[in-house]
Amino acid sequence: MKTAAPLDPISFIISFVTEYYPFIIEGFLTTVEMTFLGLAGGFVLGILSALGDVYGTKLMKVIIAGYVEFFRGSPLIVQLLFFYFSIPALTGLNWDAFTAGAVTLMLNSGAYQKGYFKGAIEAVFKDQLMAAKSLGMTFRQTLTHVVLPQALRIVIPPWTNEYVSLGLSTSALIVLGIRELTNISKSIAAQTFRPLEVYLFASAIYFLWITISMKIFDWIYEKVKIPGLEVNI
Amino acid sequence: MFTFENFLFLLQGVPNTLAISFLSFALGFALGIPTALVKQFSPFGLGHVADAYISVMRGIPVLVIMLLFHFGMAGIIPVFKSAFLSATFALGLRSGAFQSQIFRGAINSVGRQQMMAATSLGMNRWQAFRHVILPQAFIVALPGLGSEIALLIKDSSYAFVLGVLELTKYSDIVRKATRSFLYPYLIAAILYIMITFPVANYLDRLGSRLKTKYGLR
Repeated sequence: MKTAAPLDPISFIISFVTEYYPFIIEGFLTTVEMTFLGLAGGFVLGILSALGDVYGTKLMKVIIAGYVEFFRGSPLIVQLLFFYFSIPALTGLNWDAFTAGAVTLMLNSGAYQKGYFKGAIEAVFKDQLMAAKSLGMTFRQTLTHVVLPQALRIVIPPWTNEYVSLGLSTSALIVLGIRELTNISKSIAAQTFRPLEVYLFASAIYFLWITISMKIFDWIYEKVKIPGLEVNI
Repeated sequence: MFTFENFLFLLQGVPNTLAISFLSFALGFALGIPTALVKQFSPFGLGHVADAYISVMRGIPVLVIMLLFHFGMAGIIPVFKSAFLSATFALGLRSGAFQSQIFRGAINSVGRQQMMAATSLGMNRWQAFRHVILPQAFIVALPGLGSEIALLIKDSSYAFVLGVLELTKYSDIVRKATRSFLYPYLIAAILYIMITFPVANYLDRLGSRLKTKYGLR
């Protein structure tokens, strides 16, 4: 971008957005895509490890505790670099940054979601399990018809927090060179020599996305929550 | 090949990781308590300002704040010429918003009756707050502060992107130098766990012990 006189911030933002909008949209969509991939994978891993931790054998509990401690105790950036570089070295399998990033986000989010699901499963009272048993329901029926329908509703507010924190953590994918919003902003800032305006603009996009998503999840929770069963996990 | 010397080299990143995390925690503490008070009592209608600060910090990645400080604002604020200080201030600013939430939750957990009881004993509102509510709230806040420190230690790794020589940067240097793709990051991850786990665990247990000792809920 070549301009004779430096533009004032507002006209600069307008001009760079009109020039770079395909990249900004691409970056934003990658950020959203990664967030949802991580959340979906983490959802499955989280529920399975929560069930394993509550109802499983001792060995299962130890393995799950190790998994959770590794992913919650170390930084996402280190996990991303570790999986991206070590898996090809160990298995000879060549995987691209996008797959490595998505898989690491899933594993990471699963470790956090496990805690929320465990809290929600335990919030469904023990008497209900006995009541279900006395009605002749099998363990699996109890799980799908009694425990999970309640637990999945209770888990929405803490799960929203996980959405927010995972969504913001996708900026760590910059270390693998994935073209998400932060990485795109960094390139645009370097090309235009106007980092202040570019990063402020990126902040605004993140802020609007997170704020609107939180409003939507709050609305969903209000729609589906069980009146009288408000539990703090 | 990854050798013991490489491991010792890697350890040199730990002091900077600790410095970033604890300095930003201190900054967050200094910002968090006033923010919690402003949000609680809203003097001069400033409650909305505290609200805006908290929701902005909650909605932007800390890495973007770091990049904004270091690359965007170094010309305006000379402190941000240093990557180390940009990272510390970004984390501290965000931590202030998070810690204010922790303190507010803790203050609200101390019952309103205690405020009434203290004022009926002739204390004014500030004295009651300072001598009755705050000491109890601080104990209730300890576990939350523990996880906040753990979060800061982990998120100090974002400073790697600014090129600060902390643990993640050192493990990256070792990976490049040794071409060992497994150990540098694995050892860095284990070191992070070894730092975060005791801190969070200690404050958690201290919190519950003091709660029992002083009969708090």
